[in-house]
Amino acid sequence: MFELLSISLIPLAICLLCAFRVPNSTLRISITGLIWLKLIIVLFITAPVFYRGNSSVSLFTDFGIDRLSASFVILTNVVAASSFSHAALFFRNEDKLGRLTEPRNESWFYFYAALFLCAMDFVFISENLGFMWIAIEATTLFSAALVYYGRDKHALEATWKYLIVCSVGIAFALLGTILFFASSQFYSSAGTLDIRMLTNSAKQLQPKFVQLGYIFCLLGYGTKAGLFPLHTWLPDAHSEAPAPASAMLSGSLLNCSLFAICRLTELVKHTDHAVLATEVPIIWGALTTLTSSLFLVNQMGLKRLWAYSSIENVGIMLSAIGLGAPSLFFLQAVNHSLAKVALFLLSGNIIQLNGSKDVSQIRGVLTSSPALAFTLVLAAAALTGMPPFGSFISEWLILLKASDSAQVLCAVVLILSLALSFVAISVHVLNMVLGSPKQVNKLSLPFSSVLVPILLCFCSLMLGVTGLAQIILETL
Amino acid sequence: MNLSAPELCLLMAALVACLTLGSLHLSVNLGLFAIETVLIALATAFMGGITGDRELYVIALLIFCFKAFTVPLFLSWISDKLMAQRDIGSFLPAPLSMHLCLILFVLSFALAKEIPVSHAAGHSWPGASAGISLLLSGLILMLARRLAISQVVGFLVIENGIYTFALTQTRGMPLMVEMGILLDLLVAVMVAGLLIFKIQKNFEHIDIAQLKDLRD
Repeated sequence: MFELLSISLIPLAICLLCAFRVPNSTLRISITGLIWLKLIIVLFITAPVFYRGNSSVSLFTDFGIDRLSASFVILTNVVAASSFSHAALFFRNEDKLGRLTEPRNESWFYFYAALFLCAMDFVFISENLGFMWIAIEATTLFSAALVYYGRDKHALEATWKYLIVCSVGIAFALLGTILFFASSQFYSSAGTLDIRMLTNSAKQLQPKFVQLGYIFCLLGYGTKAGLFPLHTWLPDAHSEAPAPASAMLSGSLLNCSLFAICRLTELVKHTDHAVLATEVPIIWGALTTLTSSLFLVNQMGLKRLWAYSSIENVGIMLSAIGLGAPSLFFLQAVNHSLAKVALFLLSGNIIQLNGSKDVSQIRGVLTSSPALAFTLVLAAAALTGMPPFGSFISEWLILLKASDSAQVLCAVVLILSLALSFVAISVHVLNMVLGSPKQVNKLSLPFSSVLVPILLCFCSLMLGVTGLAQIILETL
Repeated sequence: MNLSAPELCLLMAALVACLTLGSLHLSVNLGLFAIETVLIALATAFMGGITGDRELYVIALLIFCFKAFTVPLFLSWISDKLMAQRDIGSFLPAPLSMHLCLILFVLSFALAKEIPVSHAAGHSWPGASAGISLLLSGLILMLARRLAISQVVGFLVIENGIYTFALTQTRGMPLMVEMGILLDLLVAVMVAGLLIFKIQKNFEHIDIAQLKDLRD
């Protein structure tokens, strides 16, 4: 109980600060401090899972963490801390450019972002499928307010699409959850929604309901994760949200629904119908990766580019889940989140500098801001899986595992699409970095504007060159 | 075939949902939605009587107060404010979509018979068929309508279908979960309502089919 309270304490404090109309400059500093404090609290709460012999800790009835969920909670909070810290700078620039028409919008951003973070924490710590569903739906509702930040026609359209597509999608996941609940009532009349109890009694569950439930959950949570062809909301929402919000949407929200899929896949793998939970995710993941890499080639919006690259990574992670390797899924999620958060944060600054979201309008970042260009290239290299960076290791291991499995064709598809996306992203990034600037807003970017992205790239590099990846794989 | 009281209520609710598709008037749609939800709340209470589960009475009361009363009232307040009385309708004309829905109502019987039903009290396949039918009518409603308010109604009908399915196949989810779901639903309707106001202000219409600026 104490843990649950302490997790939700800081977000509530942030909400109070925003509600009491604290001036924006004070707000920025205090929120940055609070969010790092939250990361420390989360580290304290999750620490027992890692260093003691027991691999899971119960927090309250229906709530608890094991090593996988604890790792995801930490990752989510790191992403949030980076995004919130960078947001302070992002909004100061917006202010300077005169684009912050309504100063209250900024505190509303922090208000909903804090609630959004709290909802994401609860996705990982709930052990009850019902509460997990409620938390995931809550993330949709709170982040819809973040997408609507721009307050213009495009933002409205993106928000509406996001709200309706995700709510209807998630409704199917609720149907799936109900089917799992119904399947458990065939052996005990009360039934259970507890994921661990369901997994332990997997063989006794009604098989027809389990299979149907899994398909519905995959559809529902797949909509939220942006699997092809259910991804239509994702590029719009990511490109209309302000940069720190896009970073959180891509770096942590996508992990939430994938985590739910991962848990259910583990459950179905324990039943007699494990084939369903192996083949469907691998094939769907490969298909998603392939189509999104095709979309990357001719992509015009800067943030839409990164959005499609997120879909591509979701496909890879889904394949890892299907291969029965939750630890690889986490490793890929870490690498993707680090690089993608850095890229979204940098893109926010690049868009502010050039005054355009259009990739073809952004030229010569190297001349207008060398530090920004350098970090952008570094982060893009980390994203595409260039060797010294961490994502190379995780993608390599996933490909190895895929080629060992029965689905060799999917491994080939994955390799092809990774190569294609590497070429596409490199061409787009080099075009933006080189050349002569077309139009540049008068905006001096201090070194602190690339501090957070550089640190994230450094973490990604550390995951690649040190034995950190090995440690993660062994612990989980 | 002897139908129990909750089954009868639920099947009537599914029929009412089919009728919703026959009218393009928002006030009629919202009224029918309210009737449908009242029937579902009644079925929940009857089910509580059969299984002796007190939680079901609480859930029935919550559904009656919020889903059957507050939500339709809120939506009709919005449509009054925005002076939107009639949906334009989409590619599927209203009478045709109603008949399609009735056909699906019959088909869902065949589908529901395939569902494995345990012999515990309250589990039944006619109830499941009502749930599937409601779900499909909600989907058709979302496809065949263009106004933002109708989209929300469609979503609520889908949600009703899923709830009906849960009620007849699992005797309802645990109270805490059910309350959380209801809360999420209410917040979702509120957020959608606020967005509808903003859409009217920015675009001067609430026709969702015309929102297609963002694409690749």
